[in-house]
Amino acid sequence: MAVKTVKSIPALGPIYAKAALPGKSPGKDLPDTQLRLAGHAVDRSDLLAYQRICGFNNSDVLPHTYPHVVGFPLQMQLMAGKGFPLPLMGLVHVENVITVHREIRFDEALDITVSADNLRAHPKGKVVDLVTEVDVDGERVWEGRSTYLARGRGDAGAERGEQPPTIPTGQAAARWSLPGGLGRTYGLASGDINPIHMSAVTAKAMGFPKAIAHGMWTYARVLGAIGPVTSGPCTSHVWFKKPVLLPGKVDFVIDKSGDQVVAGLRSSRKPETEHLVLSLS
Amino acid sequence: MANNLPRRAAVLGGNRIPFARQFGPYAEASNQDMFTAALDGLVARYNLGGKHLDEVVGGAVIKHSRDFNLTREAVLGSALAPTTSAYDLQQACGTGLEAAILVSNKIKLGQIEAGVAGGVDTASDAPIMVTESLRKKLLKVNRAKGGKAQVLALARIRPTDIGISTPANVEPRTGLSMGDHMAITAKKWGITREAQDELAMKSHHNLARAYDEGFQDDLMTSFMGVSRDQNLRADSSMEKLAKLKPAFGKGDDATMTAGNSTPLTDGASVVLLGSDEWAAEQGLTPLAYFVDGQAAAVDYVHGAEGLLMAPAYAIPRMLERQGLTLQDFDYYEIHEAFAATVLSTLKAWENDEWCREKLGSDGALGSIDRDKLNVNGSSLAAGHPFAATGGRIVASLSKMLHAKGAGSRGLISICAAGGQGVVAILEGA
Repeated sequence: MAVKTVKSIPALGPIYAKAALPGKSPGKDLPDTQLRLAGHAVDRSDLLAYQRICGFNNSDVLPHTYPHVVGFPLQMQLMAGKGFPLPLMGLVHVENVITVHREIRFDEALDITVSADNLRAHPKGKVVDLVTEVDVDGERVWEGRSTYLARGRGDAGAERGEQPPTIPTGQAAARWSLPGGLGRTYGLASGDINPIHMSAVTAKAMGFPKAIAHGMWTYARVLGAIGPVTSGPCTSHVWFKKPVLLPGKVDFVIDKSGDQVVAGLRSSRKPETEHLVLSLS
Repeated sequence: MANNLPRRAAVLGGNRIPFARQFGPYAEASNQDMFTAALDGLVARYNLGGKHLDEVVGGAVIKHSRDFNLTREAVLGSALAPTTSAYDLQQACGTGLEAAILVSNKIKLGQIEAGVAGGVDTASDAPIMVTESLRKKLLKVNRAKGGKAQVLALARIRPTDIGISTPANVEPRTGLSMGDHMAITAKKWGITREAQDELAMKSHHNLARAYDEGFQDDLMTSFMGVSRDQNLRADSSMEKLAKLKPAFGKGDDATMTAGNSTPLTDGASVVLLGSDEWAAEQGLTPLAYFVDGQAAAVDYVHGAEGLLMAPAYAIPRMLERQGLTLQDFDYYEIHEAFAATVLSTLKAWENDEWCREKLGSDGALGSIDRDKLNVNGSSLAAGHPFAATGGRIVASLSKMLHAKGAGSRGLISICAAGGQGVVAILEGA
């Protein structure tokens, strides 16, 4: 696979703007190129803003999800590229797997590689994995696999992959009130300014009734609530279900009794509405 | 009843984050952030991740009202098991040392096996209060029942009520700053500018040497890009210190400057204590034993004694109980709130009349060997985040005593606001 070197993290605004323009014809195959950014330095105050909004400690160790946030614009650049087989706008983040191989300190230089993999049929359309790998001095310290769905003509018989565990039932561990401006605050902290998260007006333009919380925020907030153990070696697998509408109240549920920790978010008003379920091992 | 028999309490290690100047690199860090960082550094160094400790005891001098359970919240955010209980205490700058006394006492009594004592303070992320008149009127609005009553209560707020205040380093009963109080004591004892500057310079040189020798390596975890105490001036000199203008006291004979007084700083420290049995189970080596502790207070309000002189009273009481003299120590750790604090305390102990009159002793306690005083630097160089100083001293002194050998002795003296003092004796293990 060819490697394209990127000098710095691309801005997401122009990528979203370009993607919103019509007239692009999708290609058939995934790009045979990986994007690589060498020696990325984390800004400690950006990190602190992210830690605060997601409920992580103000720590010099990167939160479980932070390398994903750093590498996300590279995923977007790859998916916005000419001939990418799925349309960028309208892609839904349905699953994510992250493995932290060891604690990563904020002052370590990160070599980030992003590639697209495993374009396949799905009962509701087509899915693709965007793989982000982070190395420090040649050592693999972190890797993540983000699965995005392009809704369309599905294949009922398609391989469904690993199925999510059942969301823990019973008393919630915590109830969180999410303010209407959460998407904007998290957008500033993470750089992900997708209009579906920014305001009710922009979200309506994209077909949502209200602004929706970033899936990556809900994922991070749950990991933050689990504790600092998630910054060390472990693997998480999250399945995003129904979006969280803003403002709103969600219940955090957790079950630590099994081999793996299972946690989830459900609607406080309608407990049968599950927003995400996550396993951690 | 065997479980209730007194036994030894060992200091097993310590950790702190480097201390930073007010509004410096920790400007955005809260007390909880810093205490958690110091605690997680300790957990990592002593392999305590996911483990249950009996107690974590700590506090902060300047606290937001939302931090009523500061230490417990830090434990819940740390890598320790959530079954670890915690409580806050506050005894001004004596907080950290008092926490260590309490944890060691419970270990000695067999009530707990292991605990952490510590403290944290931020001079940057300070609570902001509204004026007292506005606060009272807002509480009235809150109490008022019904919209009309609330509007009427709100209408009573006048423009002159509007204002904010931040905590100040001032004694409420005298209206004097701690530095101004110290200046009075320094003048009484005839402490010269040169003597203060020399003590300050030595503090910087000693701490700088301690860093160079790697002494701090297993006592500290870097935080937010800071890896050594920000206040440290390795190139401190009498010439540089002599150039500074007096900051406290009045007149031509004022001697206290920003160079020989500790600056406002942010930071946190923690110490791990445990029984011999627990230490053995964990495979940890005791560095020192916590022998004794003592607090004292003086009547500084009506002028009978200087504000920061209480340790001069606490130490003789503790020595008498232990059957020791002031000279029976290998190391002395006298907290440098101001250089003049250390020098006034030493002069008082050397003064026959003062010791007879104030302590009721037969004569002067005598001098100490100055080469044994604050040998790896103290607060003038490191800085002094109020409640964090006790943990800094206990951890470093324990390490020094362990290197010196079993049976070596160290004396700790910390002065505190409100005319108080907390002191302790450690013995090398």
